[in-house]
Amino acid sequence: MKLMQSGKGELGLEIVISYLLIAGVITSLLLEIAGVILFYRTFGNLALQYGSSVKVQGHDFFSFINNLVHGRFAGGAAIQLMTAGIVVLLLTPFLRVLFSVLYFVWERNFKYVVITLFVLVVLTISLTLH
Amino acid sequence: MTLDILSLAIISVAVGFLGALTGLGGASIIVPILVLFGVPVKEAIASSMVAIIATSAGSASAYVKEELANIKIAMYLEMFTVSGAIAGATITTVIAPVYLYFFFAAFLLTSFLKLREPLGEFVPAAKYDRLSRWLELKGSYYDECTKQNITYHVTNSLLGGLGMLVAGLAAGMLGIGAGAFKVNVHETILRMPPKVSSATSNFIIGMTALAGVSVYLFSGLLNLTLMAPMAIGTTIGAIAGGRILNRISNRTLRILFFIIIIFLIVQMVYKGVVSL
Repeated sequence: MKLMQSGKGELGLEIVISYLLIAGVITSLLLEIAGVILFYRTFGNLALQYGSSVKVQGHDFFSFINNLVHGRFAGGAAIQLMTAGIVVLLLTPFLRVLFSVLYFVWERNFKYVVITLFVLVVLTISLTLH
Repeated sequence: MTLDILSLAIISVAVGFLGALTGLGGASIIVPILVLFGVPVKEAIASSMVAIIATSAGSASAYVKEELANIKIAMYLEMFTVSGAIAGATITTVIAPVYLYFFFAAFLLTSFLKLREPLGEFVPAAKYDRLSRWLELKGSYYDECTKQNITYHVTNSLLGGLGMLVAGLAAGMLGIGAGAFKVNVHETILRMPPKVSSATSNFIIGMTALAGVSVYLFSGLLNLTLMAPMAIGTTIGAIAGGRILNRISNRTLRILFFIIIIFLIVQMVYKGVVSL
């Protein structure tokens, strides 16, 4: 029914993005839950903390991810897992824009290649600012 | 009662649920709650950006599939929001942000103009102007509440784009998602149907919030013990909300939206007065 209602091209993009978004949030959800369980086992309680050990910090978005990948963050496994979950969550909308560009290239819809590319470039610039 | 990771996760489920239905992101609901429990304001604002991203991605996964969120409209409008957000983050020294709070409140008031129309009944835009046509800004979805196929198109896309630029500007300057502002532009200027407007707004705010997070990364205000439970709760709430939007009536959605708008107007005026 839905297949007949929409152009076949657009449905493709919708399915790709839908799976990308759900994969992103579910992965991050599992990492956060594992992180919180470990946090409880480490500290013996679930109280909020305000020390620098629970703060996520980086020079900018990309150098921050680079540091995480290379294991340059201090803190126990709980903090590492929780940080990884946040990173996956942050990457989800970024990848969504990236995939849209690729999709419109594949579709040869050049109007929207330009539009999505513009969004990707400005977003990338904003992520390198601080 | 004190706020801990578990109770924050539970509260966040409701926030994600409401955010997903209304397209407002939910940061403006959770921030006052956090502050009430003694969380420092700046940490609350910065960390709640993550709640917006989780709400956006969690609900949009359903909306995109059901074709409630219009990807082309979203992409066109994102050009303006992301540019506005960058500009806003860099020019905070030029304009005093205090006036933005009042401007924001005044703009939200205009959403009540629509009350003259029958509540929740979508009146299609009359004119499919040349720019909107060139940009292919149209779509259709199957409304599971009325059991009808709804076809729509957008009008005034240039003015709508400029409206989103201002929304992005406000978001960048005030460190907020400005979801309510965006929904208002969608409906008042672009004349999108309420459900499409909520769903598309949800799709867009994730990206705007990501641009915002970057600014806070450097500041050391992003607190994992706040972000982890908010991410868990809002994701669960948003996935649930995303499954039911299409089943509720436009009228119910409108009423919910207006209740939150009134709350936001009071909040904006209060913040403006306090920082005068």
